[in-house]
Amino acid sequence: MSQYLFQQIINGLALGSLYALVAIGFSMIYGIVRLINFAHGDLVMIGAFSTLALVTAGVPWPLILVFVLAIGAIAGMTIETIVFRPIRGASQVTGFIATLAVSIAIQNSALMILSGQPRNFLFPAFMRQRVGFGGVNASLTDIAIIVLTLLLIGGLFLVVYRTRLGRAMRATAENLTAARLMGVAVNRTILAAFAIGSALAAVSGLFWGGKFGQIDPLLGFVPGLKAFVACVIGGVGSIGGAMLGGYILGLSEVLFVGLLPQEFSGYRDTFVFLLLIVILLIRPSGLFVRHTEERA
Amino acid sequence: MLEVRDLNVYRGATHVLKGVSFDVRQGQLAALIGANGAGKSTTLLTLSGLLRPRSGSATLRTDGAELDLTRLSSEKIVRAGLIHCPEGRQIFQSLSVAENLDMGAYTQRDRAEVCRTMEEVHTLFPILAERANVAAGSLSGGEQMMVAIGRALLAKPKMLLLDEPSLGLAPLVVETIFDVIQRLKSTGVTILLIEQNAAMALEIADAAHVMENGSIVLSGTGEELASNDRVRQSYLGVAA
Repeated sequence: MSQYLFQQIINGLALGSLYALVAIGFSMIYGIVRLINFAHGDLVMIGAFSTLALVTAGVPWPLILVFVLAIGAIAGMTIETIVFRPIRGASQVTGFIATLAVSIAIQNSALMILSGQPRNFLFPAFMRQRVGFGGVNASLTDIAIIVLTLLLIGGLFLVVYRTRLGRAMRATAENLTAARLMGVAVNRTILAAFAIGSALAAVSGLFWGGKFGQIDPLLGFVPGLKAFVACVIGGVGSIGGAMLGGYILGLSEVLFVGLLPQEFSGYRDTFVFLLLIVILLIRPSGLFVRHTEERA
Repeated sequence: MLEVRDLNVYRGATHVLKGVSFDVRQGQLAALIGANGAGKSTTLLTLSGLLRPRSGSATLRTDGAELDLTRLSSEKIVRAGLIHCPEGRQIFQSLSVAENLDMGAYTQRDRAEVCRTMEEVHTLFPILAERANVAAGSLSGGEQMMVAIGRALLAKPKMLLLDEPSLGLAPLVVETIFDVIQRLKSTGVTILLIEQNAAMALEIADAAHVMENGSIVLSGTGEELASNDRVRQSYLGVAA
């Protein structure tokens, strides 16, 4: 394989990992409370700035990873408790507008506190190294992102498919009333979904900073939107679908820019949203969802 | 065991239950019969904490404890041993049969006891053991009903609310289900049964209540109601 193509694929997988981490949480939250959460991307920003603050404070990296997961979980649970839970019974449109409001509130608070000036993300110099295998090489950052993401997703699948909490989450997502009749404390289960989804989004903020080098208070908008597209590709509400959707989106975005002539590279996002429209036209329930049932 | 007094429940602006009162004694199999929309399901949903009454009370007495169901969360009601097997089965279609049964045991902490109950359920419905790893949504209607009842049994009910267990099922399956209901009663579980098949319900019920327009209009033993002219005309399809 040529170094160029290999580099593109690694790059696409790393970007896809970022999208997948955000998309999974987006999908979990939609799956359990039928809420299109446009504030979800802002957790990425919160994760990125928390990382920067922790680095500045001299916390070692492995601990930073743990702290960022925790900060994301706490932020997600806070938003769910004070904003989304009180409007639970309301219509889907009300919920959707509330998530926009939360997003704008988070972004503008961040602008006020942090200023709009982009900051350099402090990432250890050795992560910028390139590692080679058999004639091709890739950036250590990209490889770390891909490996850590796979570990996190593996852990998530263990929780969702092998634990009592995961079973309760899947049951609640499918039929909230029946889950209550089983004695599931659904508010706690929903809170857990927000915590897990938001933790993954926050950690993708850490990766985002590492990959792109600069962060600003509005950086969450794009990953939030792309996560939404990734979910539509994979089928909203499905965790595996969101993950695959994230990787497909990341890879195709990078390959679109990398394999087509230079003059097309400006149309990268156009391509992404064109992909969204095409998928909505041909497979509105997503590529990886076999059956769908709409819950009123 | 259960004492319902003057329950008034609204759904939206509609006054669905208008002062419903009845008792279910310990170990009894009580049937609630009535036309569609009379308020039977609403009664059960209120008892299991999914709907809140505007006024009235529903008291559950078990093991010397006295619980006001109208104030408890559905989670606490399940933990108290009042288990609701809802209308339309409401099984978790995407979960496997085994996972559905495990969801029934969600509040049960004693794993050994859960395993024992699981074996009992598998003895009652051998098909559920065979299909343990199949997605529950792919089962037939009758098998799904068995999942729903099995799931309720794994919750170790002291009192079981059954909403239309025979609806839409083949006669042979209905017989199996009714056999299981009677077997449950013989093990001491108190049962409140809603049934559109009034004849079958009255045959096995110790006590029955007829519901019309959100009120109980007639109560008696199963036999009494089965021989009551009004019941025979309206619910058993017998000409006067």
